[in-house]
Amino acid sequence: MSTIATSKAPDVSSRPTSRRISWGRIGAYALLLVFAVIYIGPLLMLVITSFKTLPEFMKSATALPTTINVRNFVEAWNKANFLRYMTNTLIYTVSATAIYVVTAVLVAFPISRGYVKGAGILLTLYVIALFLPVALIPQFQLMLSLGLYNNPIGYIMLFLVNPIGVVILVNYIKTLPLELDEAAAMDGCGYFRFVISIIFPLISPAIATIAVLHAIGIWNELILPTIYLTSKDYYPITRGMIVFQGVYGSNWPTLAAAVLIMTLPMLVLFLVLQRYIVSGLTSGAVKG
Amino acid sequence: MTNYHFGRGRARLAPYLLLLPGFLFYVIIMLGPSVATSVYSFTDASGIKGAAVHWVGLQNYREFLFMGQASLDNYAALVRTLIFCFCVTTIQFTLGLVLALLVNQRLRGVNIFRTIFFMPVILGAVIQGLIWSLFLYPLGGPLASLLGMFGIHSEFLGGQPAEAMAWVIVVQIWANLGTTMMIFIAGLQTIPGELYEVVRIDGANGWQTFKNVTWPLLTSSVNTNLLLNIIGSLQAWQLFLVLLGYRNGTQVLGYLIFAQGFGQTSGSVTSAFRQGYAASASIVLFFLVLIIGLPTQYLLRRREERILG
Amino acid sequence: MYKRSSVFIGVMVVLALLLAACGGSAAPAPSSSGGATAAPAAQAPAAGEKVTLKVLIHQNPPMVDFMNKFNEQFQAKYPNITVDMSVVNANDLSTVTQTRLTANDVDVIDMFGFSNAAQPYMKNVTAPNWQTLIDAGLLMDLSDQPFIKNYDASAIKDAGTYNGKVYQINLGRVSYSGVYYNKDLFEKNNVKVPTTWSELVAACETFKKANIACMTAGGKDGWPIFVGAYGLLGAVYPDQAKLVEGLWTGGTKWNDAKSLDMWKKMKAYAQDMMEAGASGIAGDAAPGRFASGAVAMFPGGTWYGAAIDSAQPSFKWGYIPFPGGDNADDNKYLFGKYDQGWVVAGKTANKDAAMKYLTEFSEPANYQAFANAVGFIPTQPGAKLSTAIGQEVAPYLANFRVGYEQYWVAPKGAGQYANPYASYYKPFGTYDDAQTVADKVQADLQSGLDANK
Repeated sequence: MSTIATSKAPDVSSRPTSRRISWGRIGAYALLLVFAVIYIGPLLMLVITSFKTLPEFMKSATALPTTINVRNFVEAWNKANFLRYMTNTLIYTVSATAIYVVTAVLVAFPISRGYVKGAGILLTLYVIALFLPVALIPQFQLMLSLGLYNNPIGYIMLFLVNPIGVVILVNYIKTLPLELDEAAAMDGCGYFRFVISIIFPLISPAIATIAVLHAIGIWNELILPTIYLTSKDYYPITRGMIVFQGVYGSNWPTLAAAVLIMTLPMLVLFLVLQRYIVSGLTSGAVKG
Repeated sequence: MTNYHFGRGRARLAPYLLLLPGFLFYVIIMLGPSVATSVYSFTDASGIKGAAVHWVGLQNYREFLFMGQASLDNYAALVRTLIFCFCVTTIQFTLGLVLALLVNQRLRGVNIFRTIFFMPVILGAVIQGLIWSLFLYPLGGPLASLLGMFGIHSEFLGGQPAEAMAWVIVVQIWANLGTTMMIFIAGLQTIPGELYEVVRIDGANGWQTFKNVTWPLLTSSVNTNLLLNIIGSLQAWQLFLVLLGYRNGTQVLGYLIFAQGFGQTSGSVTSAFRQGYAASASIVLFFLVLIIGLPTQYLLRRREERILG
Repeated sequence: MYKRSSVFIGVMVVLALLLAACGGSAAPAPSSSGGATAAPAAQAPAAGEKVTLKVLIHQNPPMVDFMNKFNEQFQAKYPNITVDMSVVNANDLSTVTQTRLTANDVDVIDMFGFSNAAQPYMKNVTAPNWQTLIDAGLLMDLSDQPFIKNYDASAIKDAGTYNGKVYQINLGRVSYSGVYYNKDLFEKNNVKVPTTWSELVAACETFKKANIACMTAGGKDGWPIFVGAYGLLGAVYPDQAKLVEGLWTGGTKWNDAKSLDMWKKMKAYAQDMMEAGASGIAGDAAPGRFASGAVAMFPGGTWYGAAIDSAQPSFKWGYIPFPGGDNADDNKYLFGKYDQGWVVAGKTANKDAAMKYLTEFSEPANYQAFANAVGFIPTQPGAKLSTAIGQEVAPYLANFRVGYEQYWVAPKGAGQYANPYASYYKPFGTYDDAQTVADKVQADLQSGLDANK
């Protein structure tokens, strides 16, 4: 632990501690490498499997494939309508996350500041919501009676609420000084403009966190699309995978190939966004 | 309400109006169906439109909590849920903190590590399940081969219930550690560098720095992570579904409710629709999570106020 | 003024976001994605208006393949009908059936043969889901449809009738109490195909000595381990409806002498016969494992035959009833169930199209092709399962019996061990001793029986 905190100091190259730090670095790298192996090992297995044929896999699960067999990928690509499903998933994820983030901030800010009556009760309601059971069938009946069954709008609506985000935001906004509000009001800034143009950037680390978590949840949702989206044109990518599994069952090599195709865009997206997420996490930090 | 600075009269309504859409979504999509669930739990509803529904009072609860060996099995599931929650929360919390501290350093390549650790989060439960089913494949999978060299054989996920549970704990942590780490990183980034400078000049060692600067200033992230981990692990069911399915001696409450609601109690797809009974089970879980979660939230809040003022 | 307008703008932005999001995703039109709808209206003027027939089936690879071909053929014959078929995991079928019927969003559904009905001697049990659906008016009465006559009267009666009316046409029976054997391995090791339990034990000994795994099963899904041991249950209790009644009324106990014998054999099955690592094999991957030639036997259902062949076409195998009894005469039964069938949504707007669909499907030629594709034991009198598995089971068809799990309804309150599963034994479960297992299973059952007194 000592090495960690020490090397966190901004000026790590200063002479007196340099010897200890280099040891710390080795230790840190060693630990990171161990974890990296635990993380990459299972993923690697997926990649190796995807290049095998089923009989090869059944004879020996771990042996490296004798030939690079791309047939699994070709088959997977041909079988499911990946492009369409991916587009749908993107639409659902982006729109639901955007609406969710905006509405969550607009709920969290006045609660955190006490700008609405009953802020405490509201917060309690959201905290309790963390514990609420999943109400699959009643929710289904509600959406059905609203005419939003098998409807992308209805599907997006299912993801507009996530109480943990509100709770995180309320906590985070509390760290912003109240003087901000006073000063802004003094300058004649309206409530909405204040929230959008001043609060939003200031809490961007928290926003990045809740947006990423929420988006991942939508991206990977499996049960809800099975129930709510029955038209193939609306299928998200996860539902496409079931279609796929439906054709192949547990033919693991082909399944592995399909999974890789499916996750690849997601991984690329994350690698591209990762910079922004992390920089968003840092740059928005409230200093003093 | 006197501290509102953005005008009086009708302008005072702005926060209410803007809060409304989010709150309405909450009430309609989340609270409403949950309240309906609690009503369901007192009926024999099948969840099918047009089927007769009768008010049965507390009968579902009696069956879930007090009827025969099945209710004892439910208590065993409850105990298992608590064990699962405890193991996952403590390990995931600690490892998440350690990893966050490690990758938050100015080391070459930390970005790669950060990405690696976060990768499983992106994948989702089904793919996580597939990956680990492959990795733990007992017929010559990677881990089986490795252990085989030492003459150890294990069925892993398909073996003894206790071992299967342990593997679900491992996968659950593996899968969600990235989130915990990210939240800690976000917290660490908000700690001003000057503070570290100051304590370093004061001659504090690493542990003292952590104890006196990092840990207290991380309170908000600590609270968020604890709450997320506790609730997440108490309600967990997806990994149980994809890794184990319905197996004696491995169910936790979250999975039990899913299995009931989806009619998957014995691997048979022809069982009866019993939404009323499933609802009563989910209300029991709700109270369990509430009993553990609310005091935790309260204590964490108190602690935060004490530390951060 | 400024402040008020900011509120207004705020609400508008939220609404705009909503609309943008929704408009964007609502854009793809729900119609004509099949590609098989290439029938211009001018060509088929009398064919009636265009309808989309929604069909729901569950994951079963050969079935899905067959249905895709059948749908194309059907659409070619009726150009005005588009078939929109969705496939869901078998585990989700019952929930999706429930939601889609409730939403009236489906016309034809694949449903398992009616089973597990409450019997007079059962107390306080819930009706099975198919009964609930019928009682709620969600399934259509098919009694007067001409295609009903294409099927065995007994199949219609046993698997598709409720209160004297026909609601399902069942498409075939499967047997699950048999065992596949690797002909090459048997020959090479000079092992005779076993007809009794002791011969089976001896065969396994021989294979083990030759370092060949004796049996495999899709243990990852849990139930295949049970299904594999079905012959053991069947050998002890050939009349399984009576067994269920006996268990409910106390005439039969899971820990009486007869049952104990079964538990002892199940122990041997789980611990000495099943290969180590079987628990990691998914149910539908097991045929591939068997076809790889690494194991001598594979206890499992008749539906695996096609999968074994497609995994390794040159592979030579046979199928016999699991020799669970000490007497060869006790081992001639095949236990099984009525598998998939078709039901029609009670409130369908496309009744005409749905009936055309089922009529077309029930055409003897189409039905025969279906039976061959999925490997069901046919429920049409004229059809014959001419595939390899069909020839293997032919000698035993006269001795076909419906199995225990089709009759069994557990009393409420019964524990999770109240079933005759071999997977309770190590290494799959925690138990090691037959008597302990027998007592535990009976206690779990008794607890439920007592709770409903």
